[in-house]
Amino acid sequence: MEVFLNWNFIQELILSTIRMATPILIVALAELYSERAGMVNIGLDGIMAFGALIGFLVSYSTGQPLLGVLAGAVGGIVINSVYAFCTIHLGAEQIVYGMAINIFAPAIASFLYKIKFGISSSLAQATLMQEMPIPVLSSIPVIGKLLFSHTPIIYLAYLLVPLSYVFFSKTKAGLNYKAVGEFPKAAETMGIPVVRTKYLACMICGALAGIGGAYLTTCYISTYSDGVVSGRGFIALSAVIFGRWMPGGVLLAALLFGFTDALQIRLQVLNSSTPYQLLAMIPYLCTLFVLAFFGIKKAGPAANGRPYFREER
Amino acid sequence: MKSNNKFIKIAVPVLAVLLSFLVGAILIACIGGNPAQAYQYLFKGAFGNLSNFGETVVKATPLIFTGLAATFAYKCGVFNLGAEGQFVMGACASIFVSTTFTGLNGVSLLIVSLLSGVIAGGAWGYIPGILKITRGLNEMIVSIMLNYIAILFMGFLYTGPFRDGNLPQTAAVTAKLARFVGNTRIHAGIILALVLALVLYYFLFYTSKGFQLRAVGLNQTASQFNGYPVKKLMLLSFIISGAIAGLGGSVELHGTQFRLMAGFGDGYGFDGVAIALIGQLNPVGTVVVAYLFAVLRAGATTMQVGTGLPTSVIDIIQALVIIFAVAGSAFVNLPHIRQFLANLSSKKAEEV
Repeated sequence: MEVFLNWNFIQELILSTIRMATPILIVALAELYSERAGMVNIGLDGIMAFGALIGFLVSYSTGQPLLGVLAGAVGGIVINSVYAFCTIHLGAEQIVYGMAINIFAPAIASFLYKIKFGISSSLAQATLMQEMPIPVLSSIPVIGKLLFSHTPIIYLAYLLVPLSYVFFSKTKAGLNYKAVGEFPKAAETMGIPVVRTKYLACMICGALAGIGGAYLTTCYISTYSDGVVSGRGFIALSAVIFGRWMPGGVLLAALLFGFTDALQIRLQVLNSSTPYQLLAMIPYLCTLFVLAFFGIKKAGPAANGRPYFREER
Repeated sequence: MKSNNKFIKIAVPVLAVLLSFLVGAILIACIGGNPAQAYQYLFKGAFGNLSNFGETVVKATPLIFTGLAATFAYKCGVFNLGAEGQFVMGACASIFVSTTFTGLNGVSLLIVSLLSGVIAGGAWGYIPGILKITRGLNEMIVSIMLNYIAILFMGFLYTGPFRDGNLPQTAAVTAKLARFVGNTRIHAGIILALVLALVLYYFLFYTSKGFQLRAVGLNQTASQFNGYPVKKLMLLSFIISGAIAGLGGSVELHGTQFRLMAGFGDGYGFDGVAIALIGQLNPVGTVVVAYLFAVLRAGATTMQVGTGLPTSVIDIIQALVIIFAVAGSAFVNLPHIRQFLANLSSKKAEEV
């Protein structure tokens, strides 16, 4: 027990919780923006994989991880516009098409990686993003090190939570946006451009999910490999459900899942005698239990996942 | 109208495949390859001689199982994205049985082992099913989480209790499925897969239970009003779907791989979903598409050796097929397109 209760362990645990929660948080916010406009996108895993690859490639060739993250966002938008067009314009089932993206995007990512680095490549390494301590705040003892000396992406992710809250609950634009997910017909009658809002939602979702993927290869591990996302898109999906489609709830859920991931890694480091596979199950098991006890279906936007045709009555 | 429908159901995936090959050719040309030569190697690798053909059949066998698993669940309106986990758990159960019940002889051990795969897969499919109907949970997330748990569990088995020797893998199973075509690795599993496909086809389209199941998939509310046990059927379809995938894992273990090791069953679950969707959720279509995927996979290696193009070109073609097929199915169901197609076919009828 002493190993667990010393300050060093707790500090490391908190730090890696914040780090591990970030990609889940960004991607869960991506899904939140998507579902608030009635677009269920289960292709997050795929978009993340593509964002991770593009982010890695750009950061590898320019040496600028921040550029990599930006490129990841663009990559995410490109991939998600395929989803957007097919679900909004062709009326393809959102779940089915999300699944198609999940198969399609990692295939492209893996292809591009092999084109760039050859078939039998050793792992290429890129520079990781530098931490950027916030001037005054980071010199506060204890808290400064824990909360204010991270990479810029982490600040961005946590800043997005209050911003999203204000947007969805306090602004007219946000309420209009939510109306599209609740009752598109009524929204259209009130002059809200439903189709445009849905496209916008997909763009935001693609950009954020791309950033979430790029975070993995520019801030967390310095290389890309197939399967780097390892289900984080789906964990983010459950974070949205667990967080009851609210930015604050999503933050809590992401922190919880980030914590389980961090705990699992710390435990692996500490006791090498336990088979690592059993410890690595913790995040997935935890997601299952949390969903089983707290996940209630009837909380999302009313018209979530339904196709919308303007002409249809 | 009916025949027209059927025609479109076949035309859409065929067009999607052709279009994907076209885009694939452009892609190959873009990276400096020769598409015609590449495709020649691809098909030579898949059909060139008996042993190549055998490899495509061997590769198709597990894909048929996971494809059928996805088809069966989707017919009842539930999404089983957990076929990979069920596949892996089926194989894990078989390894357990094969190494524990050493008293049994060849055939009876094989039967017990395959059955244990069915049960383990079904049990793994029961979890998302029961959580969906009692707690209203999203079955996709649950089944995906179970995939990761199953794969880690398998990793635990082959590095821990069932490890054999220095390499991280289990011992080879002793009871093996019979091989019956010359020197090829084609094994009895393919027969099981084909029979299963026919049985499922008969069950879904020619029995009243199958009808109820499909009714739930098409319209839950209407099925509820008709007095169908909607929740029970959903749970049942999840269990059967899991059992099919579990049998697939067991067959793959006894027919092809013989051992559990890293990468066993990798990607079969999602491929199964893709196959089911391209195959228009028809068991027979599933078999055809699974075979196509196997051809692509078997040919990809030959293509890589022959032309130096990476095998992931083929992964892209495979992924494009699903992108085009799903978009195509949605497109022909758009109200005005459907009207247009209906007009077209009625005009044809008038001419005749």
